[in-house]
Amino acid sequence: MRAILLLFTVCFSVLSFSQNDALFDEANKLYNDKKYAESIEKYESILNSGIHSAELYHNLGNANYKLNNTAQSIYYFEKALLLNPDDSEIKNNLRYAEKMRIDAIDKVPKVGFARIVNNIVNTFSADSWAKIAISGVILFVLLFLMYHFAYATTRKRIAFIVSAISLIVACFSVFMAFQKERLHKKDNPAIVFAQESRVKAEANKSSEEVFRLHEGTKVQVLETYEDWSKIKLSDDSTGWILSADIQLLRSF
Amino acid sequence: MNLTKSISLLFLILITSIATSQDVKFEAKVSKKKLGVNERLRIDFEMNKDGDNFVPPSFDGFTVVGGPNTSLMNSYVNGKKTYQKTYSYFLAPNKKGKLTIKQAKIEIEGEIYKTFPITVTVTNAVDRPNAPPGAADIADDNIHLIAEVSKTNPYLNEPVTVVYKLYVSREVGIDGNWREKQTPRYNDFWSQNIEIKGLNVQKTKYKGEDYRYVVLRKTVLYPQKSGKLKIEPLVLDVNVEVPSGRTDIFGRQLMTKVPKTVTAGSRTLNVKPLPEQGKPADYKGAVGNFSFSVTTSKTQLDATESLQATVEVSGKGNMNLFELPELTTPSSLEVYEPEHKENIRTTLSGMQGRVSDTYTIVPQYRGKYPLPPISFSYFDLATETYKRITSDEIIIDVLKGPTAGSNSTTNDTVDSPKQTVTTSGSFAFIKTTSNWVTISEEKFFKSNLFWALLLIPFLCIPIAIILRKKQDARNADVKGMKRRKADKLAKKYLSEAKKNLGQKETFYESLERALHNYLKAKLHIETSDFNKEKIQGLLIDLKVESAIVSDFISILESCELARYTPITQVTMENDYEKAAKTISSIDKQMR
Repeated sequence: MRAILLLFTVCFSVLSFSQNDALFDEANKLYNDKKYAESIEKYESILNSGIHSAELYHNLGNANYKLNNTAQSIYYFEKALLLNPDDSEIKNNLRYAEKMRIDAIDKVPKVGFARIVNNIVNTFSADSWAKIAISGVILFVLLFLMYHFAYATTRKRIAFIVSAISLIVACFSVFMAFQKERLHKKDNPAIVFAQESRVKAEANKSSEEVFRLHEGTKVQVLETYEDWSKIKLSDDSTGWILSADIQLLRSF
Repeated sequence: MNLTKSISLLFLILITSIATSQDVKFEAKVSKKKLGVNERLRIDFEMNKDGDNFVPPSFDGFTVVGGPNTSLMNSYVNGKKTYQKTYSYFLAPNKKGKLTIKQAKIEIEGEIYKTFPITVTVTNAVDRPNAPPGAADIADDNIHLIAEVSKTNPYLNEPVTVVYKLYVSREVGIDGNWREKQTPRYNDFWSQNIEIKGLNVQKTKYKGEDYRYVVLRKTVLYPQKSGKLKIEPLVLDVNVEVPSGRTDIFGRQLMTKVPKTVTAGSRTLNVKPLPEQGKPADYKGAVGNFSFSVTTSKTQLDATESLQATVEVSGKGNMNLFELPELTTPSSLEVYEPEHKENIRTTLSGMQGRVSDTYTIVPQYRGKYPLPPISFSYFDLATETYKRITSDEIIIDVLKGPTAGSNSTTNDTVDSPKQTVTTSGSFAFIKTTSNWVTISEEKFFKSNLFWALLLIPFLCIPIAIILRKKQDARNADVKGMKRRKADKLAKKYLSEAKKNLGQKETFYESLERALHNYLKAKLHIETSDFNKEKIQGLLIDLKVESAIVSDFISILESCELARYTPITQVTMENDYEKAAKTISSIDKQMR
């Protein structure tokens, strides 16, 4: 019985994947016919079936750009970049979309050691670091045993050195995986969707206005309280914004 | 009869007294019934028949400053003689309040007559006591400066007009030589004077009398503060021509010129604040009735060309008292400071016209640039509600030009070689194929599998070492090793026999078969040439001790024997043990 069920689900998922491919093609056709709103509907129906891809988000971003929806377009391009950070086409189109937004916010460049560390940490995802760590550990164990059991001196020596290196690599990777996860948790970007949103000094309506943001601006969400989110801009200024005015990029 | 006589006499007297009282008048008259405490009062006691023994009243509360003056007047009109005698006193009141002048007495033709008491009200001191109703007084009564305010409780920023009119009655005139002594200053108001070309004299009625008036000044005020606001008075110096009462030789009235200061009096406006309810967030103080538009000179252009975007408000209201909404533009557009233009006319009903900000925009890079909708809110006085007009979004399409690189915001030099390198091309087309991933992906890092895979290899090290050590130890004792091996062999071959332990027939059959199998495997003997002698010979060849060989043979024999003899359980077990032992001994010694 269980086997049948499993078979059924596998078949179904394969079926749904192929179904989504068909939907994707249909949506692309609509896009090419300049029926952007319809194509967006089709793309979103794929999303609703529980699967996604960088390509899907890229196309959603394109369609929204054609409809001049600044916030949506930037939002989907950013999402696409989260899944596929190195795609030059997505980056290029994101630049186009970003030109539609109102706010220009300076970037405070990260300098020195912190930047180097972050660059190293960001080379792989947390899962990749974890996998590197595991292969390092396995290699270390094998080589250590080889060292332990080998009789020839040169072999022993090589095995020892390589095993020591792989142990270091493993430890480093575990550390990096933790760092990456920490960064990932800290990194909670969101896009402003409201046409214009007043950012307040405190999490209530009556408090003083710190600055205003317009649609399409990318912010970092630091914490949330009731209906408000504490945000930080790339120029390190912070404030509280209505959570309804922004959309989190990581909420897939 | 005495009674009737006296009654008739009384009647007669009564009649005569009535007759005489009709004739004799004795009255007191005051010049004013109401006067200031620093003023004087004249009281006249008049009679139309000469009398004697005039007794004036005590004049309590007054000081007699003059009098009594007596005057006599006789006149004949149409043959009728009129006689009048007057005693006059000038009195100064000593205190404020209601003072009563008591009765005066006089004896006329033997009768005593009394006047009625007169009550006079004495008020505070007045400015010009006892001035004769001279030219200034006449001027006072005949010239009025009035400020007409269109609305006394306007909203904040609602236009209020103040019209100053000078009313002049027909009796007096003014010459043109008037000047403003004090120009009203309108604190807390935005004010605008409306020029008046020439003085236009018009006729009107003022308090039921014929008057002429001129409009001196028209001002439109926009209150800038809520609450009670005071409009300071306008004060004018005018020369009033008042008839002096004398005439020149031609019979024309001689006029005296009286300089006079007229003031309109200060007025207070109660300014209502704009309602807080429903006040839009983008409200910037506009009150009136407006229309709003955002336009651009073009929507399609090439980079580095310029276009004008105009934000314009037109209509009626406090045109120059509010800020125009700012144009928000994408940060990637180069926008210059707006040029502000005002075209406002002020009339009595308020300001009207148009105000505009013109922005010059120069796009630097290719792409689409939306100018987001701008909203303009104002307070509509007609409906007393806030209204909002939102402009449409305008898309500026920049057709030709460089595409912005990622460093476009920091690097403004368009011609720099770095820029040309980073320009990567036009807007990319959609992707046509997709690699689907389920959205809810499980994380490998920190999962149980991850921890297991990370830590279990470390456990492998001691385990491997221990196993290796054990193996080494076993390898070290060869005897034990061999025995274990032989035991293992015996077990392997004798397992069937052991199963059948207790059943004589089957046990011995399987035991025999086991021994045969063992030999078959070890000595490569075919079952066909299987006899004891051959086995013995082979085993001895393989350097197996003869004692053991004979044991083996004996077991084989006992197997054959057992088929025909009764065998106990104990013997079977012994045989089994023996077989096992022998097999392992053979195995040990065999090379």
